[in-house]
Amino acid sequence: MTTAAPTHSRGFWAEAWRRYCRKPLALTALAFVALLLLVAMFAPAIAGTKPVLCRYKGRLYAPCLAYFDRRLEPPIFAKDKFRGTYPKNLAEKDPQSWAIWPLVFQDPYRSVRDDEWPGRPANPARDEGRPSRINLFGTDQAGVDVFAKMVHGTTIALLVGFVSMGIEGTIGIVVGAVGGYFGGWIDMLTSRVTEIVMCVPTLVLILAIMALLEKPTIWHTMAIIGATGWTGIARLTRGEFLRLRQSEFVTAARSVGAGPVRIMLRHILPNALAPILVPITFGIASAILTESSLSFLGFGPPPPSASWGSILNDARSNLSMWWLVVFPGIAIFLTVLAYNLIGEGLQEATDPRLREARK
Amino acid sequence: MTTYLLRRLLFGIVTLLVITCFVYALARNMPGTPLTVQLGETDPSRKFNPEDLERMKRIYGLDKPWPVGYSQWVANVARGDFGRSISRKQPVITLIAERIGPTFLVSGTALLLAWLTAIPLGLYASARSGRPDERISSLLLYILYSFPTFVAALFLQIIFAVWLRGTSWELPLFGMTDLPADAPLFSRIADIARHAILPVTCQMYVGLAYDSRFIKANLEEAVRQDYIRTARAKGAGPWRVLFRHAFRNTLIPLVTLLGLSLPALIGGSVIIEQIFTWPGMGRLFFESIRERDYPTIMGLTLMFSALTLAGQLLADLLYCVVDPRVSVE
Repeated sequence: MTTAAPTHSRGFWAEAWRRYCRKPLALTALAFVALLLLVAMFAPAIAGTKPVLCRYKGRLYAPCLAYFDRRLEPPIFAKDKFRGTYPKNLAEKDPQSWAIWPLVFQDPYRSVRDDEWPGRPANPARDEGRPSRINLFGTDQAGVDVFAKMVHGTTIALLVGFVSMGIEGTIGIVVGAVGGYFGGWIDMLTSRVTEIVMCVPTLVLILAIMALLEKPTIWHTMAIIGATGWTGIARLTRGEFLRLRQSEFVTAARSVGAGPVRIMLRHILPNALAPILVPITFGIASAILTESSLSFLGFGPPPPSASWGSILNDARSNLSMWWLVVFPGIAIFLTVLAYNLIGEGLQEATDPRLREARK
Repeated sequence: MTTYLLRRLLFGIVTLLVITCFVYALARNMPGTPLTVQLGETDPSRKFNPEDLERMKRIYGLDKPWPVGYSQWVANVARGDFGRSISRKQPVITLIAERIGPTFLVSGTALLLAWLTAIPLGLYASARSGRPDERISSLLLYILYSFPTFVAALFLQIIFAVWLRGTSWELPLFGMTDLPADAPLFSRIADIARHAILPVTCQMYVGLAYDSRFIKANLEEAVRQDYIRTARAKGAGPWRVLFRHAFRNTLIPLVTLLGLSLPALIGGSVIIEQIFTWPGMGRLFFESIRERDYPTIMGLTLMFSALTLAGQLLADLLYCVVDPRVSVE
């Protein structure tokens, strides 16, 4: 027996990551998505009218958390009749208090009133809210700050991408794996179901279900996008499983007594994951597109949740307010572009055929 | 071949039945009926009194539960009767026939232009692969590919209908024509063409960006094959190699793509037609959902699903035509 080689060769994913890092555009795209993630997480600290942290009557509070969930607003402020306006109330009701304010004092759900922040005029309403030093991206017809809306809408854009893709990916991989692995009549059945779902007009489905629901929320949109978009992934997974179930390592696994679920999950899936990951990334981009175009058509989640697409919808009635189109439009575009670039980078990093061609 | 076609046809019918049944159930369970939505929105005082409503429901067959309604619909369709639109008081077939022309005008022109520009662009990109000019053009196409249509449509509207208002570059914002139906033919055509520029551009650029990238990817795969090396070795010039040897072999996936774009060709784009208020199929679909106009929703659903299936079949059949190695069995 010879001694083992002293250096460990890199694994598939480490090798792929190294290759991915060589593409500056793909890396920039990844950094952009990371930035969006940060913006979404710290949205209330970037733009809001509630203090990030404040000391009031001897105790510390973080009222900004109310932007994530209304119930997180400390009850003491409701009891002291703050009514959502903090700057003056804090100073009046407890002169000893101090607060750390968000970077931009603007609210995504309402217009900032005159003198709400000491010495600052009210937000301009109707079509006068051009971008200015106070309203970075301008204001909409109701006087709500577009920058604040967009910062808080980032969460929706990211959530839509991840959640609907999670649903799509799970259904697609399970259906494709079962069909491809077992073959025969099971494959026949899953392939037919896939084809039927492929022919369902997604828009009717989404519009009809949104109309059926009493209170449609963003989660319903995500669920429907996920429930209809899995066909491509299922077909690809099926192809990979059909190919891999013939390979020696599957025969070996079967001969040592591994069950079908174990073979599918532990043996075939890791080998099939790379090509499946690419359409998943592209799918995130298309889910974001679908959601924003739905909101744009006016079928998004109801107000006050501010999705980028719904800002565009406001612009349709008054096109001279170009800032309502340019900023959210570019945000949607950049996000879609970033996910597409990541998918492209992944494809080139993991596809062995493309790799050989580069040599 | 015949058995294959028969099997596909049979399965196609089953698919259509499943989809239409599902959509029918959904549509009938949406809150509101065509009768209440239409009248209730325009004027609350004009709501039907209960007896009238019952009578109208009976006339339109809305008093029966949806499975009964669905089986009646299927029976009528089998006899070639798609029913009458409830909100527009016209046969569904007439409505669709009215809308198919405008949609085809936009999507057909867009598809044609996209292919006419995508093929040279793809050839150019793979001929100059890796050079700076190709890098830049590919990056631009990629950016175009990621640009959402409705954002582009709004940008174009702002530029051509708001900023350029009053100049000779101004383009109309909405609709298909401003002229009355009795205007001279030439000015009508010119007016419709002016209205169509923005929707066609919006629909074209996505196809252009996608198709040219697709062609380039396929060409780059073909260029690596052994027969290309042979062709080069026997002294064929670079353009001859690209056209005669490489490009002809990329026609196969191209043809598949063509088949799959069939539904969009006739179905149009809901979003583009909605933005430009273009009187096409996509807009009809959107409006019929809002008006709860069941017969129209069902007619359009049937048509879209049938077109999708037909496109898939067409792609498979064409595939066998261009590639003699593949057979439908």
